[in-house]
Amino acid sequence: MTVTIEKKKQFIRFDPRTKIILLVLSMIVATTTPSLLYECVLILLIAGFGSVCGKVRYSLIGSAVFMALYLSTVFYLENSTGTMHTMFTAWLSLVFKVYPGGMLAGIAVSTTRVNEFLSAMNKAHISRKIIIPLAVMLRYIPTIREDWRYIKDAMRLRDVSPSIIGLFTHPGMTVECLYSPLLMAASKAADELAIASVTRGIENPKPRTCLIQIRFRIQDVLIILCFLAVPVASLCC
Amino acid sequence: MSNQLQTNTVKKGLTVKDLIIMGVFAALLTVCSMIGGIFFAITPTLTFYFSIGAALLPGPVFLLLLAKVPKRGALAIIGTIVAVLSLVLGMHWAMGLGGLIGSLLADMVAGTKKYRSKKMNILAYIVYSFGPTGTYFAYFIDPQTWASTMLKKGTTEDYINAMNNTADWRVLVIMIVGTILVAWLSGFIGSKLLKKQFEKAGIIA
Repeated sequence: MTVTIEKKKQFIRFDPRTKIILLVLSMIVATTTPSLLYECVLILLIAGFGSVCGKVRYSLIGSAVFMALYLSTVFYLENSTGTMHTMFTAWLSLVFKVYPGGMLAGIAVSTTRVNEFLSAMNKAHISRKIIIPLAVMLRYIPTIREDWRYIKDAMRLRDVSPSIIGLFTHPGMTVECLYSPLLMAASKAADELAIASVTRGIENPKPRTCLIQIRFRIQDVLIILCFLAVPVASLCC
Repeated sequence: MSNQLQTNTVKKGLTVKDLIIMGVFAALLTVCSMIGGIFFAITPTLTFYFSIGAALLPGPVFLLLLAKVPKRGALAIIGTIVAVLSLVLGMHWAMGLGGLIGSLLADMVAGTKKYRSKKMNILAYIVYSFGPTGTYFAYFIDPQTWASTMLKKGTTEDYINAMNNTADWRVLVIMIVGTILVAWLSGFIGSKLLKKQFEKAGIIA
């Protein structure tokens, strides 16, 4: 299994710490940017970073969606007025604030494996009490969506409507049928994960070792410099 | 390092199992509050009631978490993680700070009865639900600075104006009372659910 993963990832590998630095930098850009133009540059950089990491399709779709949003903002919203205008501007500005961070976070989470992340965090001297829940949480969020689909199917099978209407006609039943499986699955998954990770020696007090060398390389420095250029440019101009 | 070894052997502090349970439940808490709150957050006239929407769903999750990890520091760590994540995803800094303070206070409230009392746990949930209101308290304390930071963040003038029109003291009162009521309701349903489903199944000791 590891061999196939290695083959798929013949692209350049980045230090997880670099990814966190990039996230922080893009957050700073998204929050301080004076015009949307800098955000376009940022999105291009993120797309480049994503394709280098081997996520070409994701980067293309992500930047295409952003471009569509950007163009619609520039061409449509400049000319319109009224309540709809306010609503859309509010919504779009929120999207523009969150979009770069979200896109980069998607790339970072999908290209980083948990073991790399853990040992990089260990190298950054962050307490294990923060690292372990964070790593588990990032991995569990996609599972919730999967669980949710199964729960919906199961509810339909037993004639309980999983929609808003069902919530109003049979509130008690719907709430119970939603929460019980979700929470049961969560606590089962937590127990199993705990046993599995204890078996693999997560409690070992010695410093972690990792097969993949985690250290800053030349590509890390280059990409950080590229991302750093955007906020510097937006501050100077 | 020797310190960690001691806590692991004595099993007094947070064990690895507790940490993993906290991770899973932190994910559930975040997803639940996002589902409840996202509709409120993106509508300018309703944005002040975000905390009400966010308080609606996570109650049962929160209570089950306290039942499974009845230890000091669990809530505080979850608050830290969620705050860091919301910062990375570009939220206003006061929301992260509010979440952090809310979870620290909730930890203290639930800790007074050793995390075993249902009433105290529901109260802790109400306190925790006030976390996202941090942004709006920051607004009410100093509207001028708020507008400037949000404008710099890319929120347009119209949005701020629409918020200014809806924001007066009545809104603040509705926000506080609404959050308390909704959080209490969610916690109440949660405690009923736990009693009916999880205590029998032996998930909670």
